[in-house]
Amino acid sequence: MSFLFLLLLAVIGGLVYRHTFAWLFLSAGVYLFWHLINLYRLDNWLRRGRQFATPSSLGVWGEIFNHFYRLRRRDRERKRRIAYLLREFRNSTSAMPDAVVVVDALWEIIWFNDAASRLLGLRPGSDLGRRIGNLIRHPDFVGYLRHGDFEEPVNIPAPAAPGVHIALSIVPYGSDQRLLLARDVTRLHRLEEMRRDFVANASHELRSPLTVVSGYLDAMRADARLEGDWGAPLAEMEHQMLRMSAIIKDLLELSRLETEAREAPFAPVDVPALLQRVQRESQALGYGPRDVSVQIGEPLWILGAESELYSAFSNLVFNAMRYTPDSGKVLIRWAANGEGATLSVSDTGVGIASEHLPRLTERFYRVDRSRNRDSGGTGLGLAIVKHVLQRHAAELDVESEPGKGSTFTCSFPVERVTREARIA
Amino acid sequence: MDKLNLTHHISQKFNEELEDVRNRVLAMGGLVEQQIVDALRALTEGDSELGRAIEQHDYKVNQMEVAIDEECSRILARRQPAASDLRLILAIIKTITDLERIGDEAEKIGRFAARLAEQERPNTNYREIEHLGNHVRTMLHDALDAFARLDAEAAVRVAKEDERVDGEYDALSRQSITFMMEDPRTIRRVLDVMWSARALERIGDHAKNICEYVIYLVRGKDVRHSGFEAMEREVLERP
Repeated sequence: MSFLFLLLLAVIGGLVYRHTFAWLFLSAGVYLFWHLINLYRLDNWLRRGRQFATPSSLGVWGEIFNHFYRLRRRDRERKRRIAYLLREFRNSTSAMPDAVVVVDALWEIIWFNDAASRLLGLRPGSDLGRRIGNLIRHPDFVGYLRHGDFEEPVNIPAPAAPGVHIALSIVPYGSDQRLLLARDVTRLHRLEEMRRDFVANASHELRSPLTVVSGYLDAMRADARLEGDWGAPLAEMEHQMLRMSAIIKDLLELSRLETEAREAPFAPVDVPALLQRVQRESQALGYGPRDVSVQIGEPLWILGAESELYSAFSNLVFNAMRYTPDSGKVLIRWAANGEGATLSVSDTGVGIASEHLPRLTERFYRVDRSRNRDSGGTGLGLAIVKHVLQRHAAELDVESEPGKGSTFTCSFPVERVTREARIA
Repeated sequence: MDKLNLTHHISQKFNEELEDVRNRVLAMGGLVEQQIVDALRALTEGDSELGRAIEQHDYKVNQMEVAIDEECSRILARRQPAASDLRLILAIIKTITDLERIGDEAEKIGRFAARLAEQERPNTNYREIEHLGNHVRTMLHDALDAFARLDAEAAVRVAKEDERVDGEYDALSRQSITFMMEDPRTIRRVLDVMWSARALERIGDHAKNICEYVIYLVRGKDVRHSGFEAMEREVLERP
């Protein structure tokens, strides 16, 4: 519009005063100058950036400046809102009692909250960009990072807070980012410790009175005068006595396994000989099938604790005996499996319904209450098996079909298996 | 691929290698820290099995030392690092030697603890040695933190702690002598306690060495055998 106006002015000026081209040239020059001035102002404004209000102008430049003004106002509004949200978010995560650390694919720290500096000893500012494993160096945590299996949290003492125990877990999210969460579990840890101590002390204290009672029982059983009326009750009492001392023995064994160091020692154990021994003993039990066979695929040894492995294997085999009719079969197999090795105990017994399988290794868990009582088990066998295997980094797997039989499989990892007897 | 990109790629790979080996040193440090914690627990709680178990874990520390050593020689041979990278490698090689020795000392304490657990406990209940042990453990922890953060000021602070550890050790040995004079029957036990305290004091010295390597790594100046004043001057006056 303004350009047409200027053009008209130039033409009129030309008509009145001649020199039309000079007038045209002059007006074009003025017009160009006006544009350049406005461009300069725009550039200046953009460059400074700090000034909020745009310069004002006429015509097309006024429009442009107006657009810019509106854009900037909208941006500012949005920025303010996002900043507010972010601040609120950070405030809320900072106030969280759990430690939160954001790490990237290389385990370098991107951000963490106040609780993380309190529990984990991270320093705000200077610790950003450092690897988390360099600052939290507990072997269990380092192993947890290396294994990359983050399903279960790992429990370690807090690096910065003495006496505090934390459960650390890692949640991957987004593209290659991970969230590390640490929760204070001191109370839980103490409770667990108390429970463990209680079980250990209680079973220990129960043992001595039981010994006294069993001594008197022996004497009474030997007494011919009591044979008549009291023969049957005394036999039953002795039977229950034996059961009770078996339970206490297993409880003590279990609490010992729980309180000992995390890993079993690495002493060579002759598994084939151990299995032969278990097989011989199974024949002397007085129940179960006669047909118990041992198959050795390869004479592999295990690096571990012999007494623990013996109690695990014998528990598996005696369990199989207990739930298999006399006409059935029990098969013990020891074979290489890829790099590691597996022991499997199969029977042709009553089997276990699938809903019981996940709870099978719980203490005193009974599949069938009426049946178990007379079979003489303590209800702790499989819990012992589980703990022994855990200490040897091995896994227990159970397959079973009711009426057909069950197979218990223990898989030992490569670092626990050896081809020959190593001299310790 | 153009040359610039390639060298960039190489240096980035190199950086990753350096960071990895540093990471492994600190993981080894964590293992050693845990050994000390276990040894102290075996001692104060009279847990002879735990004391013996430390010995079995020591092979891991030794294995790590050998692996890190090999990795360092490989980096030296292939990358021929200079300046701070070279200092990092040298500091690592020295640090792992000290860490390995600390592991050996912890193993020693574990052995003494197993022996002490079978004897009668004194009525002080090993409180003094527990205090000394916690002090030394914190020292090692802070020394490794200084190594992780490349923090020379923290390293000086930790190195200074060694004087107090030495003082505590002296007090403990004087006390032990009075115990032995009072009742010669305790000599066996008190000697074992003394040896454990000696091992702890040695751990403190090794932790101090690690601090000196950190200062060397960050400031490029060897502060060994120069006294704390020189060390402080070196670090604090030249920021």
